[in-house]
Amino acid sequence: MTQTGTKLDGPPETEMFPAAVLEKLAGRLRPTGVCLALMRPDGTLFYADPVAGAFFTRFAVPAVQQNAVLTEKLRRLNAGAPVVAFDSLPGILLAAAPFVQRKQVLAIAALLARPGNFRLGEDVLQVCGRLALDAQWLQHQAESLAPYTRETLSRQTALLAGMLQDQLKLAGMEAELNGMSEQLANSYEELSLIYQISGGMRVNRRASEFFRQACNDVLEVLNVRGVGVVVQGDGPSRVDPVVYGSVTIPDGLLRKLADQLLAILSARKAPLLANDLAADPDFSWLSGCAGRLLAVPLLRQDQVLGCMFVLDKQSSDFDSVDSKLLHSIANESAIYVENAVLFADVHGLMMGLLHSLTSAVDAKDAYTCGHSERVALLSRHLAQQLNLPDAEVEQVYMAGLLHDLGKIGVPETVLQKTGRLTPEEFEQMRKHPQIGARILADVKQVRPLIPGVLHHHERYDGKGYPSGLSGTNIPQMGRIICLADCFDAMTSNRTYRKGLPLEVALAEIRRCAGTQFDPAMAEIFLRTGADRFRELLRNHAEKSKQLLELQETLRTA
Amino acid sequence: MAEQKTILVADDESHILNVVSLKLRNAGYRVITASDGQEALDLAVQEKPDLVITDYHMPRLSGIELCRRLKQDAQTRGIPAIMLTARGYHLDEQDTIDSGILQMLSKPFSPRHLLVTVNQVLERVAA
Repeated sequence: MTQTGTKLDGPPETEMFPAAVLEKLAGRLRPTGVCLALMRPDGTLFYADPVAGAFFTRFAVPAVQQNAVLTEKLRRLNAGAPVVAFDSLPGILLAAAPFVQRKQVLAIAALLARPGNFRLGEDVLQVCGRLALDAQWLQHQAESLAPYTRETLSRQTALLAGMLQDQLKLAGMEAELNGMSEQLANSYEELSLIYQISGGMRVNRRASEFFRQACNDVLEVLNVRGVGVVVQGDGPSRVDPVVYGSVTIPDGLLRKLADQLLAILSARKAPLLANDLAADPDFSWLSGCAGRLLAVPLLRQDQVLGCMFVLDKQSSDFDSVDSKLLHSIANESAIYVENAVLFADVHGLMMGLLHSLTSAVDAKDAYTCGHSERVALLSRHLAQQLNLPDAEVEQVYMAGLLHDLGKIGVPETVLQKTGRLTPEEFEQMRKHPQIGARILADVKQVRPLIPGVLHHHERYDGKGYPSGLSGTNIPQMGRIICLADCFDAMTSNRTYRKGLPLEVALAEIRRCAGTQFDPAMAEIFLRTGADRFRELLRNHAEKSKQLLELQETLRTA
Repeated sequence: MAEQKTILVADDESHILNVVSLKLRNAGYRVITASDGQEALDLAVQEKPDLVITDYHMPRLSGIELCRRLKQDAQTRGIPAIMLTARGYHLDEQDTIDSGILQMLSKPFSPRHLLVTVNQVLERVAA
């Protein structure tokens, strides 16, 4: 019957008045010797400070709860009513004020206190009897509390209403702030992921490598069981459909999933969210592998390049936050795919042009058939042995291809002369590095190759041309191509003579290390050995032969 | 149950304080906050937190200076620190050793990653 620590049930009040707010407020009022109580608009009590002290919890609060007359009076308090003090209750002083929002009484805020004129009268004894309390004990409890008058309690209750309002507003704002911080945290998460992924977006990276990284990043952030990617069509950005994470999808099903996702996303061009695959007519066949699916298209200018998908979020359904995040990542990835395609196009065009130029040079000088290609190959080999970064190896290869480009400007009579050159002819021949460099100077993209072309006839001892540079003052690219050029000149067959055996040429390079060649570089070049060089050149010759045959077939077809 | 660890978060940007506090509180940590380096230093001396997470750029006292001062004081020397910096900003390695910083995170950081780092640092210190 008696209820101590009165926090009665009923969801509306607990939602409107969070427990934390009431506890805080009750705690502030407690030291002044009063007890916070809240009633519903119908006058029934739903909260009373549970630790207000025994006078309240065992006597005043139960007495108020059982007082039907008081309940009825409280019920009649209207929205405009001021603070009302009730001093005719046996042994208790109570002041109440309606708690109003938008002219509606939401609750009644009340304070209970010990009245100044507390004494064990007939009425109090009656209540004690009903509550099975010892009167002397009650007297003792009351004496330890500060006595209140109607006026002081009323004033305090008036303050209470304002405080309650403020506290509720504060709690609301706190909840809002937490909500906003939660959203902000999600944005940070998203931003940092995008940074991470776009940091890995170098176009010369392999597409499969890029997507592996991106998928693993997503796997970590979204807390899903699987992340996969599908890219349409062929070309450099091509990756086989793949899924990372703990989810396993057999190859056949993965292919089917890829095709189906591409078909759906190509049509709708918006995220696809299926939180119940078993019940989904399109994807029920996948339910053996996963239960939930979220897929977003890789979109570039309205064209669907592919898609990314995630499977089975741990603990819950996919929602719009996941969708938005995956969408941002898909957008980044789509940029990567598009760039990779463009890069490959441009790179292909450039290499095609370089090879055409090279053929033009080699065609002019029939004796040196295939020389440029072989020098490029050998230069690249040496650059790799020197552990140069991939991008520089590529440049060395291109410079190797173009090293004799300047011969375009040298008369054929000089180029094709088999006998000794006259000093004038020699002078003309010596100009080809500069002519080559001049031709390249107009094209920004090949400018980095110029040092290789210009300086491939410099000598380590400074006796070369055109600049007479010596030692490591000669650009590295020039020193590399010089070695490759001389090696191929010695070993290749000319129409008027047979090439030297590889072993002899290598011995010659050893002999000239330090005078003609960079000795350290020559050392590394020699490490490859005659057998390996033979293999390299044979492979190259076979490939060129196949290419020539193919060209021949095309021409006659 | 293990004792609740206290983390001091210092940043002059209140939104960072809010996000970091929320995430750390949700993860069960007690969080105290300061909006500049000096306030953080005073709080650290007074409260002896288990970990300091500080921004690099702050009014009155920079994050690195805060860490240096903490390292100089015998009472606070053992407190590990995580430094938040602007992206692309690199601290001198010697700087980070001198001031006892264990981890650096660049903004915008992943709150999830921050939490992982916090747990790791506290485990490492406990070990």
